[in-house]
This record gives sequence, structure tokens and C-alpha cells, in this order.
Amino acid sequence: MSDKVNLTIDGVEIQAEPGSMIIQAAMDNEMYIPYLCYYPGMKPYGACRMCVVKAEAPTPDGSYRALPGSPASCTTPVSEGMRVETNTGDLVGLRKGIMELLISEHPHGCLNCHRVELCGPTDVCLRHVSVNDRCVTCPKNERCELKDTVRYMEMELTTPLTYNNRHLPMEVKDPYWDMDMNLCIVCSRCVRACDEVRGDRAITLIDKSGRSIIGTAAGTSLLESGCEFCGACIDVCPTGAIVERDYKWDKAVQKISTTCPHCPVGCQLDLDVNKRNKVVRSIPNRKAEANMGMACFKGKFGLDFVNNKNRLKKPMVRKNSILEEVTWPEALDFVAGKLEHHQDGDYALIASARGTNEDNFAAQKFARRVMKSNNVNVSSNSRPKLVNSLQNLIGTDCASNKIWELLDSQVILLVSANITEEQNVVSVPIKQAVAKGANLIVIDQRETELTRYATKWIRPLINSESVLIGGILRSIIDQSLEDHDFATEKCEGYDKFRNSLWDFDLVKVSAQTGISQEEIREMAQIFANAGASSILYGLETISDSHINDTVESLVNLSLITGNLGKKSGGIYPLFSGANQQGSRDVGCVPNLLPGHRPTASQGIDLMEISEACSSGAIKALHLIGDELFHNTPNRSEFLDKIKATDLLIVHESFASEVTEIADVVLPSALFSEKTGTYTNMEGRIHRLRPAIGPIGDEDEDWRILSQIAARLGSDDLSYSSSDDVLTEITNEVETYKTLQINSLDSRGHIRNPILNSSYVFSPIEFTQSKETLVNDQYPMVFAPGRVLFDADRDAGIVTENDLNTITRREVIEMNEEDAKEAGISEGDVIKILGEEFELTGNAHLNGLHSGMVATTALFGTLIESLNSSSEPDPMAKTAGLRLCKVRVEKV
Amino acid sequence: MTTDKDNLRTRIQQAIQSQKRPTVTVLSSLLAIQDLVGYIPEEAIEEVAAHSKTSINSVFGVASFYPNFRFTPPGEHSVEVCWGPTCHLKGATEILESVLGKLGLDSEGDTDDGKVSFRFNTCLGACSQAPVISVDHELYGNAKPDIVLNLLNSLYEKETLN
Repeated sequence: MSDKVNLTIDGVEIQAEPGSMIIQAAMDNEMYIPYLCYYPGMKPYGACRMCVVKAEAPTPDGSYRALPGSPASCTTPVSEGMRVETNTGDLVGLRKGIMELLISEHPHGCLNCHRVELCGPTDVCLRHVSVNDRCVTCPKNERCELKDTVRYMEMELTTPLTYNNRHLPMEVKDPYWDMDMNLCIVCSRCVRACDEVRGDRAITLIDKSGRSIIGTAAGTSLLESGCEFCGACIDVCPTGAIVERDYKWDKAVQKISTTCPHCPVGCQLDLDVNKRNKVVRSIPNRKAEANMGMACFKGKFGLDFVNNKNRLKKPMVRKNSILEEVTWPEALDFVAGKLEHHQDGDYALIASARGTNEDNFAAQKFARRVMKSNNVNVSSNSRPKLVNSLQNLIGTDCASNKIWELLDSQVILLVSANITEEQNVVSVPIKQAVAKGANLIVIDQRETELTRYATKWIRPLINSESVLIGGILRSIIDQSLEDHDFATEKCEGYDKFRNSLWDFDLVKVSAQTGISQEEIREMAQIFANAGASSILYGLETISDSHINDTVESLVNLSLITGNLGKKSGGIYPLFSGANQQGSRDVGCVPNLLPGHRPTASQGIDLMEISEACSSGAIKALHLIGDELFHNTPNRSEFLDKIKATDLLIVHESFASEVTEIADVVLPSALFSEKTGTYTNMEGRIHRLRPAIGPIGDEDEDWRILSQIAARLGSDDLSYSSSDDVLTEITNEVETYKTLQINSLDSRGHIRNPILNSSYVFSPIEFTQSKETLVNDQYPMVFAPGRVLFDADRDAGIVTENDLNTITRREVIEMNEEDAKEAGISEGDVIKILGEEFELTGNAHLNGLHSGMVATTALFGTLIESLNSSSEPDPMAKTAGLRLCKVRVEKV
Repeated sequence: MTTDKDNLRTRIQQAIQSQKRPTVTVLSSLLAIQDLVGYIPEEAIEEVAAHSKTSINSVFGVASFYPNFRFTPPGEHSVEVCWGPTCHLKGATEILESVLGKLGLDSEGDTDDGKVSFRFNTCLGACSQAPVISVDHELYGNAKPDIVLNLLNSLYEKETLN
């Protein structure tokens, strides 16, 4: 028997999910009931009353009993045999009455103007409707749900009620978004999106009934209200009350669905393209299974770089130490002529993290087949150890479960990852899970947004994470909390691993990590006692030499509690780079060939490439994209070293420090101009579609490489389209075999899992911290934090040049003993000096570990700096929160 | 200055902690604070948000919905005039006029010198004594304009005596 509910709507028999609301059942069956406050995916609310229906339900004696009054279909659940009428004369009259009340507070001059049929959307109105009341001056004109609903209802175009303009000032002082509360119909979709979906509660309904309106506490700026600038409120607003500021009035002539190039979540975005070939808006796709209609500050407001006029439009070759524009054939001939002499191992290629699978497949093939060098890498692969051992131990090198399975996790362990800024959308299911009662354990020295949601926030000593996890493992064994059947039947090496735990005496662990035994025991209980526990790790604060140990310990933790292969359990590595996963899959890394086959001789990694450049071992360097080591001290070192090469070929879209020193610059297409695929952190393959046409002579990287290859006498890269490359990928890469290129939609395609016959435990070692971050000049470690909202301290918002600005004094956390030694007492003004920065603030002495200092900045400061940045693509170069060495001085 | 602020926070925390009822909500906490502190300062919004694990915005949404919560410190004395039906029939209008005249106000609000917060009240629950006026939560029945003026004068005199 079907577990669906049968009902009839307007005489049509349909089936609906049990427990769903009438309006959703109608929508699923392509029937329309007018609505304004309802929004698919959010809880029923019943504010606007537009969706009223007549409904009757059968009684046991076979007769029908009408539901009292006219229930709102968005709050009335379906029931078996229900009969629903949506369009009777009464209902239509009722709706019209409601709409009249609604538009009595919404400017609607154009709606009841007698010239409306004659007036085009861009025509100038001479006198019929005053400027404030025109639809044509509204940024949402023709995208307005209210207007569409009025038209659907074929209202009499008169206003019987007195129209009341609220005369509220517009809120235009915060970055990226504009708010005009004169247009608000108080459906509170935005408030609910912010609360229910994003968990931020940065906006709310303020003031009393009749005057209620959307706002923040005491009218403060979004910069301090806890807003993460994800734009969810804009996406759900049915009117023009909340809109994106940039290209506010621009109309879309085309909508293109593509993949976001900012992080490995791979959000599916629908880009609005205007008639001048510009991407004016980005709206996350609701059907996409990777992001479920969510986006973040980067995907919503960080795509304007594709419209930047300062693009590199022509190939350039350095002649007499000056870069000169040349034609494509000349540039390619030049490159091929030079590369001819570098086909014996002194060539290296670094592909772009934003390169498609096709680009990066072509890149590795070019390097390996044409240039005969294994020195090929992708720029985001700066910490390959994050996933290298995963594949051997559990059989996959990406997240073992899907992102949105986190919704039903009962415990989520997050190790050193600032998800809110690095892989934002992953934080949405985590916050929702916490709201439903899940326990979140965060192990991180920095205070981040998610530490606020944590049941336990653990700040271990630097680089002691693997020992801490070892302690948790030991405690699980000590308390007999392990899943013995799973560990012995589905895994190998359990006994050996178990024996390795005897080193992890909790007294020792506690001394090494600075975390009390009690805390470790509690974490073991929380993690092991839950039905489904998942682990996410970014290991952003952990030194390279400790990453392998930590990853192995985390895999052991997932195995010993039987959480691998379980729904809503599993393990999620968090790396950066939109197509880092795809690049690995297609072999654009030095240690793997396409399809994860190991290479016979391994190429060198990113830092080693720059070393080899300066030592002369590599004479020709091919850089696709300039994304390396931004915001790290390594950047200047890297640039210095690659100057020593004989030949530096750069594919770039914008001029940068790298193009300045390049011998050849080839203009490369941006994600918005490409056809291709990305693979996200779940192993989900997504399509990229060209949204805008070419700006200059730029080309896609695979085609550039294929033309160079042809000039070098190789036919290895003779492709005519990116789909040709993809076809070859599906043949070469085992896990991509089932990919149907033509049916790839916004839901994407999960690549075939690589299955191990059994999981593997790895014995772990009790390691003393090998690496030290500090030196004599800079003896302390600084842990910078960033959160959305800080209740304890005033953000001190001031308005400068019509923009809200944060002027807050930072508080610097410090260990009490350290402070005493340096003669610093609570509240003193102190200064942190790092190699590349300094920061002044008031000392706050607490139980922080000795040798550490920490601050917590506001996310608003990051948004401010991004908003005012002159970089073409500031979001791609967002300063991550990294530990660094500093010294502290009293001012 | 800092001590004043800290003191305020302590009192707010006391108010939140003092609630003995089994379910403590945002609303009940706000009421407890208004009872103890007299109004809802910014700090109260923050403390209630922290205590109920929600955001300041959500708490402000609740607080701003109810006309009875005030966000500024009240005057030193509270004066309420009942204008319920009974009091109205028995002459509340005259009382109102004389009170507003004396305080220099047009309607509900605080006097400029911060001495008195004046409010209308829809029923003080003493209809048999109508018209009724409440001064610092003390009821005075069968009010007459001159009696009321004396009462108000005494408020100001008390101050000068002190």
C-alpha cells in the first residue's frame, strides 16, 4: 500500500506526503494557490492569509465535515480523503480583501494606473503616479511576487482604502544590501530564514502590531547584529524591501545555472545576466542537493569580479623586458618554441583550484605526456596530507557522507576548521542539527562562529590534537564504549591499534594537551554514546608534520564507534579550493594519476616546486591562475624564488604580482565563461555553464594547452570541446564511469564510491610536539578568532562616508602567569607584534594556556574590508585565521 | 562609570535568577527585569539573550512588541490616572487635564526634569472609589483636581526637603 495521502484539490485527485500542508501538496502537483508568507522548506507560519481554502474531511460515517472557516492552506495538513476547493467566489473575494489591506501599505501606483497596459517597464511616467509609489522605480519590478499575485487575482484596479506610505528612511549604510521598509509586507519570511534556516537571528520583527517591521535590536547595524551576509533574507523576500545593492535595478535577460567557484561545497547558483553581458545577481538554486538553496557572502556578493573591466584581454609576451600584446598564434608559437627545450624534467605546472575537471585533466596530461614531467599540482593542494591517508584507511578521499546528512547527526566533532568563512554552507546543517538538540564539540584554539554553538569548546595546546584524540580513544576503551562488533568484523588491525593505545595514559595526555582528564572522559562519552556521530576536520591550526597523525586518530575514532558507513555519521575532510577534489580525481596532483592510480615516480609538492625553481632544478614554470599562498608569509618567498626560472608562463584573468614577472601571459577564461564540471567535497559532480560571453580574447585553459601541445607535435590533447575531455575522463577515471554528461542538472551526480573491502585501523603513537611555531624574537602564539556577534562588548558603530563602520577596541586574551611576568594587569593597553602586523587592545587575563594570546574580532570587520577592497576578487583572497608567532608589549 | 554598568548587569542577572517559576521564558525574564530595574536597558536584552540562548535581535523583537516595556529609565515617581469607563463618567477628564497641566505634558510620557513618569491606566480596579489616581503605585480614590494637585505638589516638596 502506498504511504501517501490521497486527496482532491479542485476536483483533481492527487497524492501527497503525509504530514505535508495542503499548499505544498498543491505545489508538488503543479497547482497554484496564491501565497505570500509561505516558503517551501520553512515551517508553516500563516501570516498573510492569502492561501485560504475551503476544505472538508470525511467522517467515519461517510459524510464530509467542513473544516471551520476558511483555513490557510499553508498551516492545514492534508488528510486522507480530504476535499479542497481553492477558487470559490467566496475565497476569491476574501483574498481580494486581504490584498487590498496589504497594498494599503505598499506603494502600488502602477498597479491601479489606467495606463499600465501602455507603459513599458523602463518608460518615464509623466504624471499619473508619484515617484515614490511607482512599481517601475522599485528594484524588484517584474520580479515581485506581490505584483504577480495581484495580477493573478485580476483585482479591480482601484484602491478603496486610503493608501498610507510609512515614510520610513531607507537603510543603506551596511555593506552589500539595501533595505526599504516602505515596501515590506511583513510576511517575515526573512526573519524566519535567518532564524529557522540559518540559525543566526540577525534580524527580527520589531515594534508593536500595526507598526511591526523588520529590523535589528535597537536599530543597530547588521555588522554587529550577528549577520553572516549570506543573503538568505534577500532570496526569500517577495517584494523589493530587501535587495542586493549592486546592480539593484538591473533586469535579467538570461538566467544561467552554474557552480560557485569559491569553495568545495559547490553551491549551485542561478546567475542573472543583464543585456550588457554582466552577471548582476546570484540566487542559490533550491533544487540543488549540495546547497539546498543556501549561499554565503562569497557566493552571493563575491562574484562581481567576473564583470571587472580590468581583465587581461590579449596574450602578452615579454620582449626587451616589457610585456607586449601579441596575437594568439604568436604567443603560442613563442611558448611552444621555448617549451621544446624543457621536456626533460625541468618543467613544472601548477593548475588552478578553479580549473574545471576538464582543464585540470588536460593540465596533468600536458605535463606528463607532452612535457614528460610528474611535477604537476593544483594550487589548492597545499596540504595533501589532509586526505592522503584517508583513501588507504577507509577507501575514499573525500567526505564519506553527504553534507546535508549532518542535519540528523547527534554529535558533530569539529576539529580546527572555520567553516563559517571557509565552507560556509556546511555550517547550515550543523547549526540546524544543534537547534534540534545535537551536541557539537569544537576542538580549536581560535574562537569561531561555531564555538558559540558548541556543547564543548576545547582549546588544547598547540599541535597536541592528535594526542587529545588518542586520549579520547583510550577513554572510550577504558569506559567500554567501543562498538566492538564493528571494529572487529568490518575493520582490520583492531588489536594492534588497541595495543598502541596503552601509551595514552590520561594523566600523560592531560599534561600534554592542557585538557583535564574529566573533559576527555566526557568527550568520549558524548561521542561514543550517540546514535550517529560525524567528524569534520580542517586542521587549519595544526602544523604539517602533525596532520597525518591527527587524521589517523580521527579515522580511528570514527571506526571504534562504528560511525563509518552509517547515515549521518562519517568523516568529512574540509579543504579549500572549489575543485580540489576534482583535481585529485583527474590526477592533477604529483602523487596520483587519473582515477587515483599511484604514479611510478612522484612529482614534487608546491613548496618544493618553488625551492626547485630557485635552485635551478626547474627552469620552466607554468602557472594557471595566481592563487598560491595568498595571505601567508610564504607568498613573498614564493614570488622571489620563481623569479629565478628561465621561463614563467602564466594563465591569468587579471594583472597581479605574478603576471608582472611572467615571460608569457595568456588570458584565461573565468568560471562564468566556461563549460565544464567541478567535483565538490562530497564527490558530487556539478556542471559549469557559460553565463556571459567572452570579454576579450581569453580562452579556456584546456584549449590553450591543447594548442600548445599540437605545436609541440603531440596529438595527446586533440579535443574539440570540453565535453570531449569529459568523455575521456569518464573512460579513464573509474569513479566517473556512470556520469551521464547530458543529464547533469543542479542536483549534480555523486561519483561512484570507491569501496574498500574493510576499513583499516592505524596504530597511533604518543608524539611529543615536534614542531615549534615560535622563536626568540616572537615567543608567543597568537590565535585570532572571529565571530558573528559579541554580546559582551559594544561594536561601536559609527557612520563614515554614509557607511557603517566598526570602531571596536579589541580585547586580547592572555594567560595570567604570562601577564604577571610581563608586568601586565587586567585592562592594560597592550600591543601584539607579529612579523607582518600589529594589533593594539586591552589585556584580559584568563585561563588561556601559557605562551598563547588570542583575540576575537567581529565578522563585520571582514565584510567591511571585503566591501572596500580594490582587489578584483577579494573574496578569493579572504584572510584566513591562522596561528602565528608574535610578541606582546605593554604600551 | 564602569561600576555603575557592572552594577546594572548584576541587578539584571539577579532579576533573571530570582524567577522561581518552572518555565523561564524571554518574556518572564523581561518582566522580572522591568520589575527590579524599572526599565529594559540594552544590557538586559543581552543578558536575557545569553540566558535563553537566543540572539539579542529576537529578545528585542519580544520586548519592543509590548507597550508596557520601556527602554529608558523611568522618572523618579510614577503617576497613573485611570480613564476606565467608571472613572471617565465620574470625572477622570478633569483630573487628567489638571495632572497634564501641572506636569507640562500633552499625553503619556516623562517630564523634562525626569521627576515623573505619567501614564494612562484603563482600570486600576477600584471603580467604587472612582475617579482613581495612582501615585507611586499607591491608590487615591474619589479624586478631585485640587486633591490631585496637592498630591503632585507633595512629590516635588518631598524632593526639596530631602
